[in-house]
Amino acid sequence: MTAGPEGLPQTPPALSAEEAAALAKRHGLPSLGGRPPFGDYVGSLWGQRSFIWTLSTAQTVARNSSDRLGMLWTVLNPLLLIGSYYLVFGLLVPTTKGTTNFIAFLAIGVVIFGYMASSITRGSKSIVNNIGLVRALRFPRAVLPVAETLTQVVTVLPAIAVLMVVVIVTGEPVRWHWLLLPVALAMQTAILGGMVLIAARLVNISRDMTNLIPVAIRVLRYVSGVFFSIEAYAARFDPFVGDVLMIQPFALPIALVRQCLLEEAPIQWIQWAAGLGWAVVLPAFGLWFFWRDEAKYGRA
Amino acid sequence: MAAPDTPAGGRTSPVPERRPAAIVSHLDIIYRVVGGKRSNTSAIGDDEGESIFRNLIGRGKTVATVQSVHAVKDVSFVAYHGESVGIIGRNGSGKSTLLRAVAGLLPPTNGEVFLAGTPALLGVNAVLMSALSGERNIYIGGQALGLTKAQVKERFEEIVAFSGIGDAVYRPMSTYSSGMAARLRFAISTAAVPDVLMIDEALSTGDAEFRKRSGEKVDEIREKASTVFLVSHSNSTVRDLCDRVLWMHHGRLIADGPTEAILTAYEGWDPKKHPAGPPGIG
Repeated sequence: MTAGPEGLPQTPPALSAEEAAALAKRHGLPSLGGRPPFGDYVGSLWGQRSFIWTLSTAQTVARNSSDRLGMLWTVLNPLLLIGSYYLVFGLLVPTTKGTTNFIAFLAIGVVIFGYMASSITRGSKSIVNNIGLVRALRFPRAVLPVAETLTQVVTVLPAIAVLMVVVIVTGEPVRWHWLLLPVALAMQTAILGGMVLIAARLVNISRDMTNLIPVAIRVLRYVSGVFFSIEAYAARFDPFVGDVLMIQPFALPIALVRQCLLEEAPIQWIQWAAGLGWAVVLPAFGLWFFWRDEAKYGRA
Repeated sequence: MAAPDTPAGGRTSPVPERRPAAIVSHLDIIYRVVGGKRSNTSAIGDDEGESIFRNLIGRGKTVATVQSVHAVKDVSFVAYHGESVGIIGRNGSGKSTLLRAVAGLLPPTNGEVFLAGTPALLGVNAVLMSALSGERNIYIGGQALGLTKAQVKERFEEIVAFSGIGDAVYRPMSTYSSGMAARLRFAISTAAVPDVLMIDEALSTGDAEFRKRSGEKVDEIREKASTVFLVSHSNSTVRDLCDRVLWMHHGRLIADGPTEAILTAYEGWDPKKHPAGPPGIG
């Protein structure tokens, strides 16, 4: 490029792509286009744990500030939901086969599945809803879905308290099995973290996905034993289908919590092992899957 | 390849020891815009029903809902440590897009960006979390820039004092005026002394007194061997703060050189007299 007619100073000629890369290499400048190696990524995510916590508490505060009744809804909502499900599946079209304490059985299904549904619905939008943050600052993007998962943990705690009240009121005895409840919830949260990471990337690729997620959740709500015992109805299916229905990662956490809290549901350690498997495999796969697009989050 | 530091042109290279802070090589940015579409005149009116039908079956053919915008075209430059680079150009010339890409916030469609250290981008439109108080945003922004929570706490008073927004820091950011929000963002972005500071018009929203203070802050950051990029429509801000200017026009980098020379040419260019474009692009 030569000097312009109006005395524009000469622009330094562009380096070729190879020259630029060599110059960057000599001075140790990393390329922005690529994503960091997966190991480094996991490390940097761990390094951001305090930031994750800051974001998560901030989100919790922001959400509860908009409703006048605020935190009260986190208690009222599960109660209303349990009530309406009981009306339909307890009284109108009973699906109580194979259960003795149906109200507690149903309450566990509603609360635990509700936790999964809201985690995935909210978590899938954790990138697109925070696009301002993504475009203004550079940080490992997985921070956002992980923070959203944590936010959901905090939000579900009042519902768990409601659940405990329902369980006690309906006459379940206090047993040592209750101590397993935090373990079951921790495994469920890990599973959800993995799913949220997967969903967040999918929604970032195509926002149309946000329309499919409610459909998927509705289908899962009906097949995951929220309001009926899969075991009691398993005879209707091919044994393979029955097994799949029982150990799929949406049904399994519900079954595990029932084993903790209901006397009628004996502990099945094989299911706990399967839960642990999901709790390891899904977050690991989810993080890897999310990391694949690390450089692409925030693109308009 | 023998001496990549030395431009192949007639000019002698700057001192070869200068350490590059940002290397931009043949950068292209193409936005994919979903939803926006050029309304097809024949599709409006009588045969609207047909157009909806056509839209459903022949998506992207008749009435496209996905457009691509070539915002940055083959831009290359090298910026050095301690340099303050202004980016000028008319509205829509790709300045802000270029800045975002250099900050690593927009992935390049083609080409490559190399950057030393962590960038911080400060845009007028950069929303942190508007439903939350300024206080929480300081913690979020500070930690995203790599400070620890304790460090943010330590600098909290300083950040608030610099922004000059006082007790408003405890109110949600959605209640701020644009000037207040810009000041707070500037204070947050500069709290950590970023390796590369990118400023997108943010300074123009502050009042005169804040502009003076932010100018001092920019100088301070440059002295710490960081690099500053500034996108601004205010030529006086660019003159005050920058020693080098990149002139963008229709997504192309048409001039790159010392501030005064480029700005003089920029100010002298009248789009009405030279509708084909400014000098230098043929």
